[in-house]
Amino acid sequence: MSYEFRWSVLWSGQSGAWLLQGLLTTLAISALAWVLAAALGILSGALRTVPWRPLRAAAAFYVEFFRNVPLLVWMFFWYFGVPPLLPAAFRGWLFDHGAEFWAGMFALGVYHGARMSEVIRSGIQSIPRTQFEAAYAMGLTTAQVYRLVIVPIALRLIVPPATNESLNLLKNSSVALTISVAELTFQTRQIETYTAKAIEALTAGTVIYLALCLLIAGVMGRVERRFAIPGLIVRGGA
Amino acid sequence: METRLADGQPPGTSGPRGTVIEFKAVNKWFGCLHVLCDIGLAVQAGEVVVVCGPSGSGKSTLIRCVNGLEPIQSGELHVLGECISRAGADMPLLRSRVGMVFQSFNLFPHMTVLENIMLGPIKVKKASRGEAESAARGLLERVQIPDKASAYPANLSGGQQQRVAIARALAMQPGIMLFDEPTSALDPEMINEVLDVMTDLARDGMTMMVVTHEMGFAKRVADRVVFMDGGQVIEEAPPGAFFAAAQSDRAREFLSKILTH
Amino acid sequence: MKRLLTAALALALAGWAAPAPAAESTLAKIARTGTLTIGTRRGSPPFGYVNQKNEWVGFSIDLVEQAIKPAVERKLGKPVKVEKKESTPATRIPLLTSNAVDLIAGTMTDTRPRRESVDFSLTFFVTGAQFLVKKGSPIRGIGDIAGKRVAAQQGSTNARIIRARVPGAQLREFPDQPSAFQALAQGQVDAYTNDGIQLAGLVAKAPRPGDWAIVGDFYSYEPYGMALRKNDSDFRHLVNVGLMEAIESGKYLQLYEKWFGPKGEVPYPLTPENKRFLTMQVVPK
Ligand SMILES: Nc1ncnc2c1ncn2[C@@H]1O[C@H](COP(=O)(O)OP(=O)(O)OP(=O)(O)O)[C@@H](O)[C@H]1O
Ligand SMILES: [Mg+2]
Repeated sequence: MSYEFRWSVLWSGQSGAWLLQGLLTTLAISALAWVLAAALGILSGALRTVPWRPLRAAAAFYVEFFRNVPLLVWMFFWYFGVPPLLPAAFRGWLFDHGAEFWAGMFALGVYHGARMSEVIRSGIQSIPRTQFEAAYAMGLTTAQVYRLVIVPIALRLIVPPATNESLNLLKNSSVALTISVAELTFQTRQIETYTAKAIEALTAGTVIYLALCLLIAGVMGRVERRFAIPGLIVRGGA
Repeated sequence: METRLADGQPPGTSGPRGTVIEFKAVNKWFGCLHVLCDIGLAVQAGEVVVVCGPSGSGKSTLIRCVNGLEPIQSGELHVLGECISRAGADMPLLRSRVGMVFQSFNLFPHMTVLENIMLGPIKVKKASRGEAESAARGLLERVQIPDKASAYPANLSGGQQQRVAIARALAMQPGIMLFDEPTSALDPEMINEVLDVMTDLARDGMTMMVVTHEMGFAKRVADRVVFMDGGQVIEEAPPGAFFAAAQSDRAREFLSKILTH
Repeated sequence: MKRLLTAALALALAGWAAPAPAAESTLAKIARTGTLTIGTRRGSPPFGYVNQKNEWVGFSIDLVEQAIKPAVERKLGKPVKVEKKESTPATRIPLLTSNAVDLIAGTMTDTRPRRESVDFSLTFFVTGAQFLVKKGSPIRGIGDIAGKRVAAQQGSTNARIIRARVPGAQLREFPDQPSAFQALAQGQVDAYTNDGIQLAGLVAKAPRPGDWAIVGDFYSYEPYGMALRKNDSDFRHLVNVGLMEAIESGKYLQLYEKWFGPKGEVPYPLTPENKRFLTMQVVPK
């Protein structure tokens, strides 16, 4: 009646190839979604602090709308809701070329962009107002003030919470299996289907996610040290 | 300096001599707080004007209006021949021609000293990197810290940071320099190194509006002292006259407070 | 999905921590708690689904309540109540091995690899995989799906067979029936493959049943059994006795008629072969 472990299911048969495929898909969808999330997050996070109300309102709408609806719903939205709006010819092509991957990527990117936005906004708002004034006083336009001074400072301040969000994004990429994206969690389930060894398969998935998360945290830690503002961030140890 | 001022002037206005800042019946409110009341004030090219007065009297607000950091609600404000209080005035252009130095230095912490100084010339004036860099190094000589070019602001003393901030403002070749209590955040031993740079600048003919409590500086360098209280210009006079015999009670009271300290 | 990871860890820990010899038998657990906990489907009519009155019902659930529960009660000599939990193809084995449920009564096909992890009762339903397409589709069976986008359920035997037999098909695997059906309705996929009876259930519940066609011969053999924890033969025997008595007494046929008869939820006549097969599973008293 007790469970019999058979760890060999993870390296016998096609398991290894499936895990690798799942890992690559997870990395691809997460990396693209991360770029999108970062771009949207920086843009909307910055817009939430500009001295022009309609832009602030638009950015606030984006953030509240996207982060307050569950990611699963956004997966369905991008996969089922968006294609009918596309021209029929393109739609057919898309369905043959990874529609689920792109839908999942947009769902993840746009959802996490809204969450990233709050991180960026809090970074910007922690910069003293006089820093803005000094930048404006040189004759920079608002766009330049943000691009050259404020956003670069904010980004250096928010590496720790942004790391956190990035890890969430990676883990949330598994929600894409609901729209048939064959990512890592999907593949661990696949192994389970073939071998009926649930615990081994889930453990393999868990260990890979854990390794990825530690890797990302490590890389972000290096980025943080490399770009730290001299004198502004007091670091323990390192 | 003369030529700089000349190319800082828009075409069509008369030469470098003449009024470069003019407040005409300027009023400003923060909500219902009336911070500038009917200000009328003119500054001539090459003039050094020290603005003093008790805390909260509107000195900072006054000079922040000159480069449009604070908008005004009524009256007219002309700077370097432009009416900057009209709708649609080109603020980035105006600000590129008016330098400002803040009490809290406000260097950009993620850039080196050199990058701080080069930013404006490259991004606003579209200077080449080479030009901008040699100009920046020249300015660092002028403020006497050429060896700090590649340091980050956090690694400089307050006095050094403020001198970099002055160099950064000068890099734009401004027609006017505004100083808002440039030495108030400094330890006493660093105050003079900043005041010396400002004094040199004044000797070179720069038009300057300086909010400061350094009355020694005002006596030595200012052409005129403007005394403010309660959002009004109470008194303007050459420093000799002002310090020897202020006209208003409020100015005398103010002077007695700060000079006995 | 953090939840999934947490669950995985919890399961792994449970697997390691549960000392095998001390584990309580299923019957002892039911006797102690007075509850038989089953894992079943919420969206697979008519085996287990939530009907329009928001009741969780179905053929598999009826079999548990009207055939297995009486056998368990008789054995234990006291009333037992049935508690239902949702199980999907992906979660059912972990649910069972972690003791969260005692019996999977849904739409689970009995296979040899699965028998390495769980035990199965007698077969209580026989079906085979087919394809659901929009009426007028050129797909008529497994021979036509190369290069086509075909939806299947994650964790199902069908997906596995398609992958092996038609590698050129573009398989898209969905975790549940409604999203696979939605993908078919919207054109993300050209066909949806599942056990014929499940497709019939889906069509019967669809807003316009006439728009759909179930095509192709059975390309797989799908005997449904109820899954139990391994090596608990007393409980398995009791489940089988319940099923055999129901087949013998006509109770099974009565329930079959209720769900699959001409007036049932999903009309699906019992073929003479299948009826023989069912009765031949009943061993002598
Ligand atoms: N952004 C603002 N919003 C509202 N009130 C303000 C703002 N800035 C300044 N004030 C108020 O306007 C008045 C004038 O302020 P200002 O900073 O010009 O004074 P100051 O003469 O420079 O004083 P100090 O010597 O303390 O620097 C003060 O009462 C101040 O509290
Ligand atoms: Mg002030």
